[in-house]
Amino acid sequence: MVNVTVDPLTRIEGHLRLSTEINGEGVITDARSSCLLFRGFERILQNQDPRDAALLTQRICGVCPTSHSLAAANALDQLFGVAESVPKDALVARNINQALNTIASHATHIYVLWGPDLANPAYRDVLAPLGETGTSVWKELVGRFAPISYSIGGTPVPAGSSYLAAIPEKKRLHEAIAVIGGKMPHQVTSYPGGCTYRPNSADIGKLSSYYFQVMDFVSKYTLRVPFDTWIENTYRASSPQKAVNFLLEHLQGLVDNSTSGSNSNNFAREAGWGDMEFYAAFGSELIGEKLLGLPASLKHDRHGGYGDPSKINFLAYGAFYRPENGDGYDPNSPAGDRFQTSGVVTGNLEYKNFDASKITESIAHSFYEGSEELHPSEGETNPIGDPAEIRYDRGPDSRYTWAKAPRYDGIPCEVGPLSRLFAMKEPLVTGLARTFKENGYSPANTYTRMIARIQETAIIANELLKWVTEDYDPNGKIAVHTDLSMAKDSQGMGLWEAPRGALGHWVSTDSNSKVVSYQPVVPSTWNFSPRDSAGTPGPAEQALIGIKINAVENSLGVDYSNPVNILHVGRSYDPCIACAVHTIDLTGKNAPGILRIV
Amino acid sequence: MNKNTSNVHEKTEKSDFLTMDRRTFLKTAGLLGASVFLGTYKTELVSALALSETKILWLHGAECTGCTESLLNGGDPDVLVALQALNAKLAYHETLLAGQGIFVDGKPANTSELNSEILVDELIAEGNYILVVEGAIPNGPEGSGRFFMVGNRTFKELFAKAAGNATAILAVGTCAAYGGINSASSAIAELTDYRGVAFTKNNSYGGMLQELGINKPVINIPGCPSHPDWMLLTLSAVVLGKIRIPGDLPSVLDSYGRPKAYFDEDVHDECPRHDYYEDEEFDTEIGGHKCLFKLGCKGKHANADCSIRKWNGGTSMCIQAGSPCIACVEPGFPDSARPFYMQGGGSSDGGESDGGESDGEKSDRRRGDDGDSSDVDSYDDGSRRDSYYRRGDD
Repeated sequence: MVNVTVDPLTRIEGHLRLSTEINGEGVITDARSSCLLFRGFERILQNQDPRDAALLTQRICGVCPTSHSLAAANALDQLFGVAESVPKDALVARNINQALNTIASHATHIYVLWGPDLANPAYRDVLAPLGETGTSVWKELVGRFAPISYSIGGTPVPAGSSYLAAIPEKKRLHEAIAVIGGKMPHQVTSYPGGCTYRPNSADIGKLSSYYFQVMDFVSKYTLRVPFDTWIENTYRASSPQKAVNFLLEHLQGLVDNSTSGSNSNNFAREAGWGDMEFYAAFGSELIGEKLLGLPASLKHDRHGGYGDPSKINFLAYGAFYRPENGDGYDPNSPAGDRFQTSGVVTGNLEYKNFDASKITESIAHSFYEGSEELHPSEGETNPIGDPAEIRYDRGPDSRYTWAKAPRYDGIPCEVGPLSRLFAMKEPLVTGLARTFKENGYSPANTYTRMIARIQETAIIANELLKWVTEDYDPNGKIAVHTDLSMAKDSQGMGLWEAPRGALGHWVSTDSNSKVVSYQPVVPSTWNFSPRDSAGTPGPAEQALIGIKINAVENSLGVDYSNPVNILHVGRSYDPCIACAVHTIDLTGKNAPGILRIV
Repeated sequence: MNKNTSNVHEKTEKSDFLTMDRRTFLKTAGLLGASVFLGTYKTELVSALALSETKILWLHGAECTGCTESLLNGGDPDVLVALQALNAKLAYHETLLAGQGIFVDGKPANTSELNSEILVDELIAEGNYILVVEGAIPNGPEGSGRFFMVGNRTFKELFAKAAGNATAILAVGTCAAYGGINSASSAIAELTDYRGVAFTKNNSYGGMLQELGINKPVINIPGCPSHPDWMLLTLSAVVLGKIRIPGDLPSVLDSYGRPKAYFDEDVHDECPRHDYYEDEEFDTEIGGHKCLFKLGCKGKHANADCSIRKWNGGTSMCIQAGSPCIACVEPGFPDSARPFYMQGGGSSDGGESDGGESDGEKSDRRRGDDGDSSDVDSYDDGSRRDSYYRRGDD
């Protein structure tokens, strides 16, 4: 048995360690996920003005700050008793803000954080024996996705075309957020009862312009089929099977064109292979090799899945208010109430309604004192203070991370685009998941997780245009009155979705309207949770156990020094570790005087 | 473009960028902003390629990656082009580079091309790099630094190694500069013991360098996040030798280690809503368009050129979007600005209120005569050197 540890897993937000035990066949037999940083600004809101939460909590994460500030705004809406009266146009403005943040975050993940692994030299070696086809595919991988300051075997490799083109788009999307949010990162307009800024008609014009510029990038790089055609035949398909059939027919046309005649082995964008088409065909063994007849694939559908469907759920809290519901919203996010609905989808793809009271957190394997399983509204955080106890090398029975282990009804949950699209029964991703399941693959895997992120970007972009041009009224009301006295002896729950998954904030106050407790439960805590008190591994841990570590199913033998599949699986969740470690936890139980330092 | 800006622009259009003296460079760069500046001087910057390559080693401490996100928002030319123009190589950056730490049975595996832990150690051993730090550094628990481990060592240890061999250090963002939100008052602030690079809050003896006994010149570029212009222009000035290190630092930086070129103005003076303040027209509910003073705006106590430069390519800024300035560039942030939506607070020394000045009182008064004189002494070179810079001047 060999231990292979990736530490730090870079190209993510924050600091993550993935430690694996690997047998002689190069198969992972055990995996542990460790969040390495305790920022420890717990309690900074305790006894403070609750309104500060929307600005302060977004400092948890500079990649998804809008999500935190809106989860906080939702919690504060309820705390101040105004959730039912937040004006429709404020809700639409929040939607626009979040949509832009999600698109920017997804684009950054796909192209800057995740994409560079496709240019790992292991793929050059695996593809080399395939002759001209292999060379052409490698040329596309490295030519599109190589990162900056990269070299292979001492030879500098220029940054990829998609990588380079994506960075200005992220910048453009941040500018768009600044139009309605003041600045980005850390936009400033989220506030209980509405927004601090009412976008005017000139702003709306600017947003539309930004939208079309970004869509220009999408049509040049990401998706070569016309955007409307894509949406119509996938997202709006009348059944999951029809969405999958459309994808397969579209890809089959490209494959036929690129495997015969003068276009032979031309997989370039100019030949119709946008990044989405390219990855959709070559990323999957089932889709690429078995259904489309390609000679090879990256086999990303063979890792990142779950061996036991009874030990995993796909969870979504729901996000994006529905403008057609008018003013106000239900803080409990009941099924169907939001554009992206809440829901719990089981490992066997059965949908159930979400109930926030079923969330608990275990700290049995985390660097905290105590071991109770508590609901977030009563959660506590007592960090271990003995340096000798903060160790990552003592195996799965020890405490080995700063992340807690959230569970829904006792079951670990994957959160993120895949879970959201499962919950909203999005035809393409649901259809792909079923296809994988019927063919003996895990419906969730690295490939479907990435396809879901790309597809979600398209769906939200499509809806964004409607919010901007149809739903938002620049003459509407942007906020309702609030004052501090309305937050006396109150509680609030903010259920929302960050780009990387379900995000909840819980707050309560005393008779002076000062914060008694503030507790976020964030996406990467779900995805990168450690074992719970029953010993069940977290989602990413499960997704690593049982997989082969090297490119394309160890096809060139076992190489412990380049465990590219660990990198793919880990990064496929779009980890955000600054979020994952409980950063702000303010409970009455942990008043300064009773903090225990062992 | 205000009057000052256009004058400088006109004047410097005729100047030779590479031979421009430090003062003019900083003033020009400061007023024009990275986009106009690097655009205007593209030709000269290209000839900077004759400069030898400058390596940048960028470390991520306890942070949110917001400053890296902000850096990538630098515009026209964008950051990657700007780095190329400066012949500066981003040799190590966890969020952007290919590698990661890979250990097989506890030993580093592969080469520096794929293993970032080998890469960072090789770069440190080679020396001759500018160290950029994003994020604060935990000293706790008990001085061990183990609240943040990375690559089987504490971040404190990695920082010590990297700082020890650096030519100069840029602390970007309020966390790296002063501890920022990590150092906010809380029941466990002492336990975690977060530090900035050279400062912790406003204590120039409280930084991690002092704790480690390392003496290196540091430039603080705070902000939550820092502005891409502030980061890129300071980096340009250092790379091009327009700021000579350490000799120029005492005259270029203020007493909190910030380049005066960007942190000299206060947000209030050029505020787009300043006229409302003069006329004593104040918003008392969010969503309006008047002065935010009564909604807690700390712009008077925030030393930054946000009101002129604005954010995201000049698109907007906090106050323009109806949100009070929270003085995120100040050493005491966030404690010094809380509660954000209430009048009062806003001192730079970490939590002291300035006594709640009355509405509209002395609307024209400037720093230096409004009570919190600890951070606001005169700007004449030499008069505001504190012990930190004397230490840095050797």
